[in-house]
Amino acid sequence: MSEEILKALMQLFAIIAKQDVGLSVNEREFVENFLKQQLNESSVKEYLALFDSHIESGKPKKTEENAEKPDKPRLTSVKDSVKTLGIAKKINKTLTQKQKVVVLVRLFELVNSDKNFTPQRMAIIDTAADVFNIDKDEYKSISSFVVENDSSNLDFQDILFIDAEQNSNNESHFIQSAQLSGSIILLRVKSVDLYFLRYTGESELLLNGLPITNQRIYLFANGSVIKQPKGKPIFYTDIAAKFLSDATAINVSFKANNINLTFPNGYKGLRNIGLEEQSGKMVAIMGGSGAGKTTLLNVLSGIDNPTSGNVLINGVDLHQEKELIKGIIGYIPQDDLLIEELTVYENLYYSTKLVYRDLSEEEIDEKVNKVLTSLGLYARKDLKVGNPLDKKISGGQRKRLNIGLELIREPSVLFVDEPTSGLSSRDSENVMELLRELTVRGKLIFVVIHQPSSEIYKMFDNVIILDEGGYQIYYGNPVEAVIYFKKIDNQINSDIGECPRCGNVNPETIFSIIESRIVDEYGRTTNNRKVTPQEWADHYKSNEKQLEEQQEFDPLPDAFKKPNWINQLKIFFSRDLFSKLANRQYMTLNLLEAPILGFLLAYIIRYIDDPTSNIYVFRDNENIMPYLFMCTIVALFVGLIVSAEEIYKDRKILKRESFLNLSRSSYLFSKISILFIISAIQAALFVLVGNTILGIKGMYFEYWLIFFSVSTLANVLGLNISSAFNSAVTIYILIPFLIIPQMVLTGAMFSFDKINRSIGGGREKVPIIAEVMPSRWAFEALVVNQFVNNRYESQFYELRKMESQLNYMNVYYIPELRGFVENYRSRVLADDENPISRDNVQLIYNEIVRENQSPMARRHNIIFEKADQINPDDFSMELANEILLYLSQLQEFYRINFNNYNETIDQRISQLVSTPEGSAQYQQMFDDYFNTYLSRFARNSMAPLPLVRLGNRLVQKIDPVYLDPQDRRMLSFRSHFLAPNKNLFGNLVPTFYFNVMVIWIFTIFAYVALYYNALSKFLILLERSSNRLKDMKIPLIKKRKPEESNENTTQE
Amino acid sequence: MYKLKLIPVVLSVFVVLFATSCKQAQREEATDLLSDAEIAAAVRLDDEVIREMISSVPNPVEMSSLLQRSGVVYSQELLNPVNNINNYNTNFKRALNLGVYGTNLVYMNIYDRTIATLRYLSNVRDLAADLRVEQFFDYQTLNRLSESARNIDSVLFITNTGFDDMSRYLIEQGRGNLAVLISYGTWIESLYIATHVRTVPPNRDLINTRIGEQKKVLDNIILLMNTYRHDPNFAELIEDLMRLKREFDNVTITYVYREPTIQEIDGMVVLVDNSRSEVNITDELIENIAKVVAEIRNKIIS
Repeated sequence: MSEEILKALMQLFAIIAKQDVGLSVNEREFVENFLKQQLNESSVKEYLALFDSHIESGKPKKTEENAEKPDKPRLTSVKDSVKTLGIAKKINKTLTQKQKVVVLVRLFELVNSDKNFTPQRMAIIDTAADVFNIDKDEYKSISSFVVENDSSNLDFQDILFIDAEQNSNNESHFIQSAQLSGSIILLRVKSVDLYFLRYTGESELLLNGLPITNQRIYLFANGSVIKQPKGKPIFYTDIAAKFLSDATAINVSFKANNINLTFPNGYKGLRNIGLEEQSGKMVAIMGGSGAGKTTLLNVLSGIDNPTSGNVLINGVDLHQEKELIKGIIGYIPQDDLLIEELTVYENLYYSTKLVYRDLSEEEIDEKVNKVLTSLGLYARKDLKVGNPLDKKISGGQRKRLNIGLELIREPSVLFVDEPTSGLSSRDSENVMELLRELTVRGKLIFVVIHQPSSEIYKMFDNVIILDEGGYQIYYGNPVEAVIYFKKIDNQINSDIGECPRCGNVNPETIFSIIESRIVDEYGRTTNNRKVTPQEWADHYKSNEKQLEEQQEFDPLPDAFKKPNWINQLKIFFSRDLFSKLANRQYMTLNLLEAPILGFLLAYIIRYIDDPTSNIYVFRDNENIMPYLFMCTIVALFVGLIVSAEEIYKDRKILKRESFLNLSRSSYLFSKISILFIISAIQAALFVLVGNTILGIKGMYFEYWLIFFSVSTLANVLGLNISSAFNSAVTIYILIPFLIIPQMVLTGAMFSFDKINRSIGGGREKVPIIAEVMPSRWAFEALVVNQFVNNRYESQFYELRKMESQLNYMNVYYIPELRGFVENYRSRVLADDENPISRDNVQLIYNEIVRENQSPMARRHNIIFEKADQINPDDFSMELANEILLYLSQLQEFYRINFNNYNETIDQRISQLVSTPEGSAQYQQMFDDYFNTYLSRFARNSMAPLPLVRLGNRLVQKIDPVYLDPQDRRMLSFRSHFLAPNKNLFGNLVPTFYFNVMVIWIFTIFAYVALYYNALSKFLILLERSSNRLKDMKIPLIKKRKPEESNENTTQE
Repeated sequence: MYKLKLIPVVLSVFVVLFATSCKQAQREEATDLLSDAEIAAAVRLDDEVIREMISSVPNPVEMSSLLQRSGVVYSQELLNPVNNINNYNTNFKRALNLGVYGTNLVYMNIYDRTIATLRYLSNVRDLAADLRVEQFFDYQTLNRLSESARNIDSVLFITNTGFDDMSRYLIEQGRGNLAVLISYGTWIESLYIATHVRTVPPNRDLINTRIGEQKKVLDNIILLMNTYRHDPNFAELIEDLMRLKREFDNVTITYVYREPTIQEIDGMVVLVDNSRSEVNITDELIENIAKVVAEIRNKIIS
């Protein structure tokens, strides 16, 4: 207790004591006793003097008043009331609710010491209780508990009697203790979970080793024990359990049988762990570093599966029937899992919302505030959590808030990993007290703890001690543990667990015994332990009590009422949204990134081709194709960067929330929705800026759609890597792996005709490796769309497409085909023995069959009837002549129609330009919408060959953008690069929409992979198989690591 | 569960796709223009006649090398500006100016202006591509050859053959009108350059004579053009040519006959024709011709 508080208390005591009749001897004695408990001898005097001076300061006035109106009971003076108010408020600021309750009890006690319950005194206490925010009912029960002596007047729920015989009370609880004289009365102050004790008998009882007088009221703290001369001691847990037995909490039986865990690398993590616990216990898991504490915690909580053995909660196997149990387990990892951008309140608020479906906003607010108050964080509720480097709240407060997240949900079994690490001893104690309170509410809590202080150590009901290699070497009462190990070590005083004077237990003794090393002949400690973990474990096994087999269990508690899918989505969404909005840097960067990139890119590549002119002409800009390429790459980049850390950042929160049994898909959908919104905005800004600067007219929506689609795909890809990899660096190293292949295989930088043939370069269709590159689909969609659908080209596109096809047939294709036949003829005339190769016959056959099937030829009935005669055996001069005749017919058809189309287009244009205005208009449109260089790219006009022979087929290489896919089978979706349409189940679909659809299908795939965590599963698989490879080399490793091999053999 | 939720999304994508495939209609409209081979075959003209007449039009190389030999200074302003290509949107214009640029290209090549040549070369290539006769221009080769002045002969050869092949091909393809226009373009541009270069008097005569000799060529060209006079564009050209013809009518060409002699050149006996045409042309006449030629040519390149 701080000096200040003590001073305040002295004042408060004085104010009460000097009312009406004034200070009595008993009262002064009480104050003195109280001070003696808190302070050393000399300080007691000092404070007592202070108390006296406060009393004196009020006295003269009091005597005067007394003289005037001796008979009338006077009201508390205004001055004293104001003083009380001030002191109480001061106390309010510094003490926790618990401590305030204690203060209140002490005030009552002061008054009770002389049984002088005057209205003035009570009024002062009233005022204090009021300021302390103590519940009216609890105030009343405290007051009766202190004042009443008749047990029948103490008949309410928060009272427990320990007596030889049951009294007639209905409401109060009762514990029988046959040899007890008088009765022990316990009061429970529910809101703060404190127990107070008073004794009415004369026997010599010891509370935690100190004698109890029937004058006083004692705080019955956690882990306390009442010892009586005869009969069984009464433990804190007995009392707590009594109060709880009526509470709604369902008794949970937790049992672990022979848990073994072997890591993928063959190392044994846990061996034969067994334990059994009930609700309302707090169990410590202790051990040296590397002993497997956290491993055990993870197995017990169901995060990891044991290699053998099982964990049963009320008879239900935790690992096999996860679904039944999930909601009742809570987990508080060592790291903070707070959302740094949100405030303390918001963190709790969203957790509450996720857990309780039925609560209204007000109820949630109330609940959050209540928890905040009990955490002592109410005053800081609007502070941002911040990160450990940029601290807004202290480490202890962070930890308490972490626990608060679980407090709200109240899981039946709670696992806590090193809650006190990095905290001051005061903070540690606060945190542990918080946890202890939970056990009182019927929770079962497992805590991994390292070097607990005596205070904390004694809070535990049981302790499990693990030793290197996952051996269980002790399980049982914590104080007993010290005795157990001391005994084995043959130490003196081995039957004394705690310090007889101060009651301290030093858990460190245990570990110094366990890990003590052999000393060599020179007195130096060696690396060898006196007792190996195995020996400790054997020792423990020989002493182990058999776990009872419990047959009947309560039904499992209902999982909390979590919100439905849509509501979870909403909650996740708003939580994420607010945490993003709160991060101003993130928001500004994200919003500015796209338009700035768009501006840079477009502004740099906007140039005027004609050195003599000052007017920018879109048509002459050679950089449009590269711009389209950059659009896809920027979209990918921006999309990946935004999302790459999303899940990774949330992974701790996710780990906790996995115990809430919430829908993963609603979490992912919320992530995705936010990312998609960001992407949509980024896409819009980029396209708006970029296209406007470059003068790409009337295509905003299409560009936006592509940019957006690619970004969203990149978002989901980013989420995949962020959920699979475990460090930010890995994630950012991965990004180039995702981007560079996409850049290379877009078709923009390297023509698909000029890439390695072994990956499908130079074929008719786009190489398969490029088919899986979203960038290629996006880029193709942009190019084709820009070329085909611009306002200029769209006037003529269909005509030009026909013209192009007819021209190709007429100029390149038929002459080439004819060449093969004519070659045959000339070789026959030259008496060549083998005038034509089988391949060439096959090629002629293939091409003629294809030509026969072409819609154009069929429609105009130009068909070669004897196609089936074209085979190496039947090929003759006669047939060759017929083929030539047919080809010239065909060519004539193509030639004439080409002229038709050519003239039609020419006439249209002539019409458009027939007037000067029309001509100017035409020219303007041509300049504004058409791009020469993009057109060259789309028409592949730089192709070295207009057609190539691939196998026994002739493949068109020029004008890809005027060529529909040739392969029109139902399930053939692939086509050549830059095809204007795509084949979808035998129908032609415009490339733009087809490609958008493909990108979205990729996105859906990526989402499914994300949902099932496919990537991380794949990585685990990789790791396993690589370990298997390593296993083969184990003999070598064995020689180098004798310890490990030792373990392996002993295990078998 | 979430899969079910995705179904509407996928469906709506498909709906959009099919809605957009109503482009089909436009495509069919385009296919409807296809006609059967027999119908159109009847309209074909006598290719042989056209081909011969075209080949009678002098090659631009002749005129350009004459100019160079006559010590005429190279003048960039005489050429059709490179950027004019943007104005040529119809086949008619493209063909004419393909000829014009072709002549320019030859003229430049003869004077070794290699850097500017590349732009003219690409214009020729682009116009050829627009006319869908790009197969006759091996642009890559020409581009490579143009890099060095030593390859001028090859460049000229390839350009020439390219133009010849193109003409022949166009006639063959039933697009003789375009061949005629290209040919006409080269001729009028040659004539334009010849009539507009500045020269010193002794060389002037040689050039003037060559200009005068175009009288016969002009007749041929008018004849050639008449084949297509049903086309209003052609009709306009013919009208202009008739104006030119009126000027040329003032030129007189007299044929002076002399006995042929036999000479031995490089060990071969050759019969040498000593007859000569003498062209009578005044400076004033040249000026008038130049004026009309400029008008016609500027109309073409505009």
